[in-house]
Amino acid sequence: MASNIPAILFEAAAPVPFPLAWEWQRQLQRRRLEDLSAPDAALLLQHTPCYTLGRGASLGHLGFDPARPPLPLHRIDRGGEVTHHLPGQLVLYPVLDLQRHGGDLHFYLRALEDVVLAVLQELGLAGERIEGLTGVWLEGRKLAAIGVGARRWISQHGLALNVDCPLEGFGAIVPCGLAGRPVGRLVDWRPCLTPEQVAPLLLAAFECRFGLALRPPGPQEGLAGLGEG
Amino acid sequence: MATHEIFMPALSSTMTEGKIVEWLKKPGERVERGESVLVVESDKADMDVEAFQEGFLAAVLMEAGSTAPVGETIGLIVETEAEIAAAKAAAPAPAAAAAAPAAAAAKPAPVAAAPAPAPQAPAPVAAPAPVAPVAPPAVATDGRVVATPRARKLAAQLGVALASVRGSGPNGRIQAEDVEQATGQPVSVPRVAEGTAPAMAAPAGNGSAAAPAAPAGQAFGRAGETVAFNTLQQAVVRNMNASLAVPCFHVGYTITTDRLDAFYKQVKAKGVTMTALLAKAVGVTLARHPQLNASASDAGMAYPAAINVAVAVAMDDGGLITPVLAAADRTDLYALSRQWADLVARSRSKQLKPEEYTTGTFTLSNLGMFGVDRFDAILPPGTGAILAVAASRPVVAALKDGSIAVRRQMQVNLTADHRVIYGTHAAAFLKDLAQLIETSPESLVL
Repeated sequence: MASNIPAILFEAAAPVPFPLAWEWQRQLQRRRLEDLSAPDAALLLQHTPCYTLGRGASLGHLGFDPARPPLPLHRIDRGGEVTHHLPGQLVLYPVLDLQRHGGDLHFYLRALEDVVLAVLQELGLAGERIEGLTGVWLEGRKLAAIGVGARRWISQHGLALNVDCPLEGFGAIVPCGLAGRPVGRLVDWRPCLTPEQVAPLLLAAFECRFGLALRPPGPQEGLAGLGEG
Repeated sequence: MATHEIFMPALSSTMTEGKIVEWLKKPGERVERGESVLVVESDKADMDVEAFQEGFLAAVLMEAGSTAPVGETIGLIVETEAEIAAAKAAAPAPAAAAAAPAAAAAKPAPVAAAPAPAPQAPAPVAAPAPVAPVAPPAVATDGRVVATPRARKLAAQLGVALASVRGSGPNGRIQAEDVEQATGQPVSVPRVAEGTAPAMAAPAGNGSAAAPAAPAGQAFGRAGETVAFNTLQQAVVRNMNASLAVPCFHVGYTITTDRLDAFYKQVKAKGVTMTALLAKAVGVTLARHPQLNASASDAGMAYPAAINVAVAVAMDDGGLITPVLAAADRTDLYALSRQWADLVARSRSKQLKPEEYTTGTFTLSNLGMFGVDRFDAILPPGTGAILAVAASRPVVAALKDGSIAVRRQMQVNLTADHRVIYGTHAAAFLKDLAQLIETSPESLVL
C-alpha cells in the first residue's frame, strides 16, 4: 500500500524483563495521550520467563501459590486470564491510536488474530480462530495469546506467538483460563524455525493489516533502557 | 447541583455487555475530568473509562466483577462533596457480582409509525407539568427543589415538573416513587439492579410484588386511567398531526431475500447488522434515485446534499427516535454497523446530539423482527419518503419458468409525498432496490 502511515518500531536485541517492557509501553502510551499527533508505535521483543495476569484474571488458574510463584508473577492492565512469557516466544506490543484503526476493541482483537494468521499462512500453515476464544489456534493447540488494554483508545499489550520456546512452563497454569486446550509452538510444525526468522514475517503482516510503515525510532524518540537497534 | 451518570461504554459494535473489572476510585473520592474511574473488560480487551466531568464519585451502582449491558448507568458523579450523601441515598443498592446479568442488552425495538425527530431529553426544570399537583409542593430549601437523581431523570422522561411533586424522602426530598405517583404511571425504566429487563417487557410496577400476569405489550398507563403525553410522545403527536397536511401515497413491492439472508449469515460474525445492510442498500439505491431523497419545501423541491438514512427506534419510555446513518451510500458497511450500534446505545441513554436524529433525508422502519408481513408508515415531516420493511418469510413462489419453489420473501411498502415523488419514481426506486437485494447483496461491502 502506498498510503501506509509511518509508525515507530522498537526492537529489543535480548530478552526483556516484563516490568521494563511494560514501562516502555506506558511511556509510549503517555506520549500519545500528551501529544495527539504522535505516531503509532510497536514493540517487538521476547521476555525473560514470567507469568502475567490480566486485571480481572482469576488466581484459580495458577497451579502454584501466588505468594511463592516459580517465576516472577505480574498483575497487569490488560484483559484476559493468566499467560506465560519466555524466550522463544515473539511478543508484539502495538501502541496505536485505535480510533484511527476503527475505534472498536473487538475488531482490534480480530485484527491481531489476522496478523498471526497471515504469518502462519506464509509458513504454509492454516491457523484458525475459535469463536469465543480469542487467540490463534493450529490443530487444536493455541499458538498465539492475545490480550490488550486501552486508555482513551490508545492501546497497549498485544500478542504473544510461541515459536520455539519450551512449553513446560505453561503446565503450571491454565493458560487463558482454558482447561483442556493445549498450547502449541510453531517449531512443532516447522522444525528449525527461530524467532529471528519469524520476526520479519510478523512485522510485515502487522504493517499490512494496520496500514503502517514501520521505521526505527528517531534520536528524540528513544525509550529509557532500550539500546540502539 | 448536578449528578452525572457513568454509563457502560460501547467498546465495540459487537459488544452488548461489559464486565466491570475494577473501580479505580472509591465512592466519595475526588475525580478530575479525564481521570480514569474504572476499568471495563470485554473479551480479551480492557479499557479505562474516564470521567467526563470533575467532581466526586458519589455512588458505584455495579460492583467490580459484575456485568452490565452497554448504556447502563453504573456509577454517579456529583459536582460537590455535599451532594454525595444525597446521590448515595437515592442510588439503588449496588448489584452484587453474582447477580451479573447474562442476557444481551435490551435493544429498543424499531417501530412502525413514522418517527418523530424528538427534542433532546429536556432538562428537568424545563419540563412542562401535564399533571395537576396532587399534593402540596415539595419542600424547597433556599428555593431549590430537592430530588434524587433518579427522580430527576424520571421526571424529565415523564414530563413532570418536579416543583409540583411532594417528596416523601428525608427532608421532603423527592424520590422516584413520588414522581411515579404524581403521574399515576408505573415506573417503566428498569432499575439498574434489574438492568436486564428487555426493552419491550411489560412495564409492571416495580413496587407491586403481587402483580397479576404481566401484560405482554407495552402500555403507559393502568386500566381506567388517562395519562398525559410525555415530551417524547408529544413530539410524536405533533409530527403525526403535521403529516396530515402531506398528500401521501403508498407503493408496495415483494423482494426475494434468499441471497441477502445468505450474505447476512456470512458477514454477521464481522459485526454487520441487518439494519446496516438495509440502510446501505437503501442508501446506494437512493444515490441512483435522488428524487426519492428530495422533499417538498415552500421554495420548491429540496435536494439534500447527502443521503442520510434515518432508522426509527422505539424508546422504552414512549416516543420514537430516528437515529441517522449519515452518508449511508458512501459509508462502508462495517462502519455503518458500528455507527448503528453506537447510535442505538446512546439513544437508549438519551445521549444523542440533535444532529444525530434530526438530519435524516429518508427513513427506514423495520418491523420484520416481529414477523409482521406488511404495514405502512407515516411520513416524517421534512422528508419525501419512508420505507416500511416487513419480515422475510419462506413462501411458495411461482418462478418465471413456470416452476414452483420455496423462496424467502419480504414485503416493503413505500410512503411518499406526491408533491415531490410520483408513482413512476417510487416504482423505479423499488425495482432497483429489489434487484440489488435479490441479485448482488455482496456488492454492499464494496
